[in-house]
Amino acid sequence: MSVTPLPPIHGYLVVSTLLFAIGLVGVFARRNAIAVLLGIELMLNAASLNFVAFWRYRGGGQMEGQVFVVAIITVAAAEAAIALAIILNVYRRFKTVNVDQINLLKG
Amino acid sequence: MPGILEILLTPGLNELVLIPGLPLLAFLVIAAFMLRRSEGAAPLVLITALAGSLVLSIRALSFAGRQRAFTTAFTWLSSGHVTLEVGVLIDGLSSVMLVVVCLVSLLIQVYSIGYMRGEIGYGRYFAYMSLFSGSMLGLVISDNIVQTYIFWELVGICSYLLIGFWYRRPAAAAAAKKAFVVTRFGDLGFLTAVLILSFQRHGRLGWHSMFGFVPLEHFVNAGMLSSGVVTAVALLIFSGAVGKSAQFPLHIWLPDAMEGPTPVSALIHAATMVAAGVYLVARTYFFFAAAPVALFVVALIGVMTAFLAASMGVAENDIKRVLAYSTISQLGLMMLALGVGGYAAGAFHLTTHAFFKALLFLTAGSVIHAAHTNDIWQMGGLGRRMPITAITCLIGAFALAGVFPFSGFWSKDEILSAVWFSHIPGHMIIFMVALTGVALTAFYMFRLWFLTFTGAPRTEHAAGAHESPPVMTLPLLILAALSAGSGWLKAHVPWTTGGMAEIVRFGDTQERASTLVVGLALAAAVAGIALAWAAYRAHLIAPAAFHARFPWIYRLLKNAWYLNRGWEIFATRVVIAGSSVAAWFDRHVVNGMVDGVAWLSGWTGRRLRTMQTGQAQFYALILILGLIAGLVVLFSRDQSLFHLVAHRP
Amino acid sequence: MIGAIWESLHSGSLWQPLAFVCFAAIVLASGLLVVLSRNLLHSALWLLSCLAGVAGLFFLLGAEMLAAIQILVYCGGIVVLILFAIMLTHGLGHTDVRVANQQLLWGSIGAAGLAGVVLHLLSQESWTMGVAAEPVDVTARLADALLNPYVLAFEVASVVLLVAMVGAIVMARAEPE
Repeated sequence: MSVTPLPPIHGYLVVSTLLFAIGLVGVFARRNAIAVLLGIELMLNAASLNFVAFWRYRGGGQMEGQVFVVAIITVAAAEAAIALAIILNVYRRFKTVNVDQINLLKG
Repeated sequence: MPGILEILLTPGLNELVLIPGLPLLAFLVIAAFMLRRSEGAAPLVLITALAGSLVLSIRALSFAGRQRAFTTAFTWLSSGHVTLEVGVLIDGLSSVMLVVVCLVSLLIQVYSIGYMRGEIGYGRYFAYMSLFSGSMLGLVISDNIVQTYIFWELVGICSYLLIGFWYRRPAAAAAAKKAFVVTRFGDLGFLTAVLILSFQRHGRLGWHSMFGFVPLEHFVNAGMLSSGVVTAVALLIFSGAVGKSAQFPLHIWLPDAMEGPTPVSALIHAATMVAAGVYLVARTYFFFAAAPVALFVVALIGVMTAFLAASMGVAENDIKRVLAYSTISQLGLMMLALGVGGYAAGAFHLTTHAFFKALLFLTAGSVIHAAHTNDIWQMGGLGRRMPITAITCLIGAFALAGVFPFSGFWSKDEILSAVWFSHIPGHMIIFMVALTGVALTAFYMFRLWFLTFTGAPRTEHAAGAHESPPVMTLPLLILAALSAGSGWLKAHVPWTTGGMAEIVRFGDTQERASTLVVGLALAAAVAGIALAWAAYRAHLIAPAAFHARFPWIYRLLKNAWYLNRGWEIFATRVVIAGSSVAAWFDRHVVNGMVDGVAWLSGWTGRRLRTMQTGQAQFYALILILGLIAGLVVLFSRDQSLFHLVAHRP
Repeated sequence: MIGAIWESLHSGSLWQPLAFVCFAAIVLASGLLVVLSRNLLHSALWLLSCLAGVAGLFFLLGAEMLAAIQILVYCGGIVVLILFAIMLTHGLGHTDVRVANQQLLWGSIGAAGLAGVVLHLLSQESWTMGVAAEPVDVTARLADALLNPYVLAFEVASVVLLVAMVGAIVMARAEPE
């Protein structure tokens, strides 16, 4: 296998940062609860990308980077399932999934 | 400092404690056992006690004549840098005062047996009288300012209790309250002086131990005591005296105090308690001697009071009120004497006045008893029906007016001489005013005597009056003898009239006699008597015509120069206005601050409550913004990410 | 010039950065469209595309197993789940209602600020890291890591999935009549 020069790590880090910021906007500014969930998924992926980038650029010897990404994906799956179940319940109760209309904790 | 047991057991010292102690003991006995009777042994207990005190006082007097001064005390209470002592002081001034108080009180108690016979509260009367006697003697014999103040207040309470003796009468209750409140006003100044002194002198508050025998000037010059403080203390002490001795402007309580029984008026409001103010000034004279401003104030107020009160006495028709104004006026003369440096003159007049004023009040009491009225216009012709009373009253009147050779002549003459020869600014004007006061005094006193004892009886009661029983006339006779004769004391027993040490110290050694002064004084007195005779006995002048021509004078004097009204306005307008300001402040500022704290909490809560929108996205946004702020702060100092992360090898 | 490009393509010296740029563009563009789409279903599908792009980036970095897992689980499982949820909550019909809430401005500012701060901090560092050879036996070593040092995490992850599954079933079932 030939040693191909990798692009410097900056690129990956910039991508992950920007992806995270995009996901953040989705979390803040969307009314639909499922759209908020999509934003969360984007953020999780940005984190995973960070981990794998650092794994590679530290030589690829220690596997912790990848193990953590496995954990992230697992948890993302579980969380998506639970979140969607909750959204279903909210929909049944409030007849809407618009997050800004669910403010019973307002004080 | 010897302990109390040592004082009681040491021969000589225990006597002195008994002087006030015996009457106080009598008080306890009477209060415990004899309150319910309306006849009985209560007066005898008191008279016995007073007789004992009198004997001891005379012994003390002879002792003081031989020595300079004698004082002893034991420490009662010592805390921090304040030490309170209990002690006695015997010198010329205090020993004379003791004898006078004991003697006059004794005679008046004898008189009271007759006067108060059959009264409800007979026992209560003598209980209060014994408490008063003990307190007054305690005041005189005290050797430090705190103890004096304690007895001062005790005497005030007894005055209140005795003025309001017939408490079911609203006028009496009101008069007692007025007396107490007005004297309290003055006592506030006295207390302030006590406090200032206790801070200044760190608890060494005895009269002689306070500054040693060194004149205060030395302390002022040495910078240990500022002259401002000395003047302030002197004036504050004087304010207590102004209240207690009914000087202008706190004189308004004394005429009303005549609501009490006449023997009370005689003892407390003529002879002894009101003299306590004069006594206090004499006692603290070393302060006044070092503060010429205070002395001038004393003299000024003294002469003003003397004149004003004499003028008010002219228009009074109630026999006791005339005598009350007379007392105020004479006390003013005593203050005047002290103010111009005539320490001995003032003290001398104190003693002579005690005798003849008590005599006059007791005769008035007999007359009131006989004629069933206080109004002199409802008397008349009592001289024929009550000869002993009339003669003794006449002697007292001559003494008051200052006619030779009665005691009042000698003491008044000394005072006028002191004013004449003094160096205070305007002393000639003061002399003139004082002289006018003397003339007015003679006038109103003889107006009183003529209207009461001469002429035809104007009512049936007056016509049917008869002489008092011997238990009442005997004290009159003794007092008359004293009023006539105590003048020669000055000439032959000089050390009784005011204490050698004080005289020597305060430089009043020259008793310069001036025939001119004597002549003027005598002339003024005779003129007053003559005018009274002309107007009220020989009817050569008609008072009614005078009233018609100068109605405003009559109105002014009858209404006591509207001073009562002035105080009333002060109390209701000024004081209440001041308190409404204070009340407003309390309600709006003090309360407002408390309410304000509560309001602030509520307002803050309402503002902060808007943060709880109940929307999770809002919370997330705030979270991220906080994170950004944290990152900025964290990394603004240290630019490197890795330096904040611990490197693990 | 085409010959040079072809040469570099074959020799592999150019294709890495190019591939990186392509995949990065896919990821970012899809991400933006996820957030900005008015249609929720379109958003979900753009998420699919974004995740695929991320998988491509994983491939480029040499984590093949991870890329596969990413596609299988994320794209194949989670996005499908989301599509079901969209249909169950009738999120489809409201295309004319506004999509963003009142926090759009401040949310964007916040996100942009965070990105700015982090990028600034990143630019301060000099990322000199030794670039080693292509890692070998990645999958085998991943498996070894999961089953030896991190077996606890592995087992716990499976428990988490079980619990989540049970919980989701319980929560999502229809209320008993």
